[in-house]
Amino acid sequence: MAKRRDVLKAGAVAVASTPAIFGGAALPRVAQAQLCRPEGIRSPLTEPDSPPVTPYSTPLYIPPAMSPIDPATLTPPPDPNRHQRFDEFQPVKFYEQRITEGLWNYHEQLSALNPLGYGSLAWMWNGATPGETLVARYGEPVFVRRYNDLPPTESALIPFGLPYITTHLHNAHTASESDGFPMDFFGPGEYWDYHYAMMYARNDPREALASLWYHDHMADFTATNVYAGLSAMTVFYDELDSGDENDPNPHALRLPGTYGKYDIYLILHDVRFDSYGNPAYNVFDTDGHLGDLITVNRKVSPYLEVEPRKYRFRIVDGGPSRFYELALSDGAEMFIIAGDGNLLEEPVSATSLVMGPANRQDVIIDFSRYRPGDTVNMVNLMEQVNGQGPTGRRLEGPDRMPVMQFRIKPLEGPDNSRIPDFMRKLPDINLNEVVAEREWVFDHDMGLWTINHDFFDPTKIDAAPRQGTAEIWTFRNAGSSWAHPVHVHFEEFQVLEWNGRPPTGVLRSRKDVATLGPNDVARVFYRFDDFLGRYPIHCHNNVHEDNAMMGRWDIVPDNGGDHGGGKWHR
Amino acid sequence: MSKTTRRAFLAGAAAAVPVAAAAAVAPAAADKDNPAIKTCPRATGGKNASRFPQVLVQDQYKQKSWFYQNLIADKLVLVSFTSVRGEDYYPVISNLVKVRQLIDDRIGKVGRDVHMYTVTTDPYRDTPEALRSLADAHGADWPFLSGAPEDIREILASFHARGSLYGLTWIGNERTGRWTKKPSQLQPLFIAEPVARLATGKLHRPFLVDMHSV
Repeated sequence: MAKRRDVLKAGAVAVASTPAIFGGAALPRVAQAQLCRPEGIRSPLTEPDSPPVTPYSTPLYIPPAMSPIDPATLTPPPDPNRHQRFDEFQPVKFYEQRITEGLWNYHEQLSALNPLGYGSLAWMWNGATPGETLVARYGEPVFVRRYNDLPPTESALIPFGLPYITTHLHNAHTASESDGFPMDFFGPGEYWDYHYAMMYARNDPREALASLWYHDHMADFTATNVYAGLSAMTVFYDELDSGDENDPNPHALRLPGTYGKYDIYLILHDVRFDSYGNPAYNVFDTDGHLGDLITVNRKVSPYLEVEPRKYRFRIVDGGPSRFYELALSDGAEMFIIAGDGNLLEEPVSATSLVMGPANRQDVIIDFSRYRPGDTVNMVNLMEQVNGQGPTGRRLEGPDRMPVMQFRIKPLEGPDNSRIPDFMRKLPDINLNEVVAEREWVFDHDMGLWTINHDFFDPTKIDAAPRQGTAEIWTFRNAGSSWAHPVHVHFEEFQVLEWNGRPPTGVLRSRKDVATLGPNDVARVFYRFDDFLGRYPIHCHNNVHEDNAMMGRWDIVPDNGGDHGGGKWHR
Repeated sequence: MSKTTRRAFLAGAAAAVPVAAAAAVAPAAADKDNPAIKTCPRATGGKNASRFPQVLVQDQYKQKSWFYQNLIADKLVLVSFTSVRGEDYYPVISNLVKVRQLIDDRIGKVGRDVHMYTVTTDPYRDTPEALRSLADAHGADWPFLSGAPEDIREILASFHARGSLYGLTWIGNERTGRWTKKPSQLQPLFIAEPVARLATGKLHRPFLVDMHSV
């Protein structure tokens, strides 16, 4: 991955001495609010800063695994007729989640500011954000009933967002009706049932997913609802990636585990807080939203005590709009073992991780190089000044943003985990199976974001691949200054070409988010199998997604008819 | 056509200016000696008041209003944008007439329960007379707003509108402070539906057409 150096460093220094009218950042906050620049279009640089917060002073929150319930307590009982292939994949694990509004302790210095009570306003799952982690295993189908217990719009205290929700499990191989399609939303007092078949795509273990996340996908309000708190993590295990570093099974990779101990999921959201410690959001900025504080598992720049041994961190950029280049403060090496939650064939050594919204990277960090009492910080090096995408410059020195701190404590037991030389083989790509090629162009028009020059209309089917076929899709970023993390639900793709060249490193993986830089073109291979129905393709800068950068595509039965095969254009 | 300045616009309106705006005052200049740093009075008295300028506008019948306090605050609104010349390149009014009809039929009475406004993106050219001809030609009966160019530019800026063509309709409920936006050329159902979704009280409905999969 090319990383451009800070070629404009001299220019950046000059900005600080430029008269305040050219940016306002050098003005005190009171003066900023009085400039002739309506607040609705203030750049993130001129939004009021969050109240001061001491980084690395609050412990990391590690969400526990979801607790199963007795299915007999579900009233009414699950309705098999609401789900595709329910009888074939009968659930063996049942869960319940209640989504409510409440107070969440992002940081004690913020929580203390709120006259409503101790904490910052949040929308939560079973009283927490991130919600409990869905820890599931291939072959053990899951049923989740989610109740919307949010207050109605007139009494919701979170001033942005809309208390209608629909939950997407990103990027499980899930039937459409359980996938959290934007129009499958439910309001206060209602519930929705989700059936996760826990099947490999095409029953092929090479298609296993490992690090997923679930989050709200409400039409027009995804960015705001997720920002309010509606995001959480999911881990899928199987025989190879079993979550047990002492697994006696000779096939097991014995990656660092178990979940919550040496296998830890980190979700990153950048948040801006108001003077009462509540999350603040400018709904009038259609470019994107930037926070000035980075939260990890909804704690502002937390710390984690770690043993001097190997850990697996599953990291997801939860958005809404920030891109990251994550590095350890001493520049130490990390081993990337999964891209977008899917194990690579071979680990990739790296000193930084570049991620866009919804990208996941699993890394193994070996803390055995440190001594008890040492600390090492994770910092963000990616400069971004507005919601459109990163500048391409790298933050240096004190400008690096604090993400979290690792504090080394004494070793508590043997480390039997491994960094394998070879992990999971990629599925074969057979180009002879390709029946259609489609191009998706991501652009900007009339103040909104477009796909193929058009705005999201949930009744318009932009592509209708036939079940059991393969296609080549091209994602093209027509913007020369913005970035678009393109996400397609349901299936993972493999990159054939990125800007005309074959993929290397972490791009050689199954992925579900193609993070397109300015003018980037990615050509990818897809197969469509197992379920029918409607799915979205969208930009996972959630603000772009809410501003019409979404399309609908349907998997249709392969009855030999012509369902939009061939190059799609309008 | 004579150039409308803010001062002339305000002076001409003197007798007719609504009184509600007395509370809004210009804050002290950030730097009184620097002519490049201007200050703007903000609207007051609503959820997102501080994100809007405190300015006067007039409709195609020359009825004058304070933009935020009289037209937006505490109301369920659709704010769209076009101009006499822009309609030739990117027409939106005929679609918005269908949206208006749909709202009237399915949600609530436009002008009483739901308020539609179209703001000119060409305040240097568009007079109330020209906007009246434009509205009448399409059978559009909601206010088409013009005013002193610098004031209209501030309204446009507060909605992120750049350039003379701007294809968004902003839909907001300032009782709750919740807003969304839709392309003005989208099929009318999907512009009207968020109005019902953002509405409170008896107008509120999650959708006009049930699109749930099961």
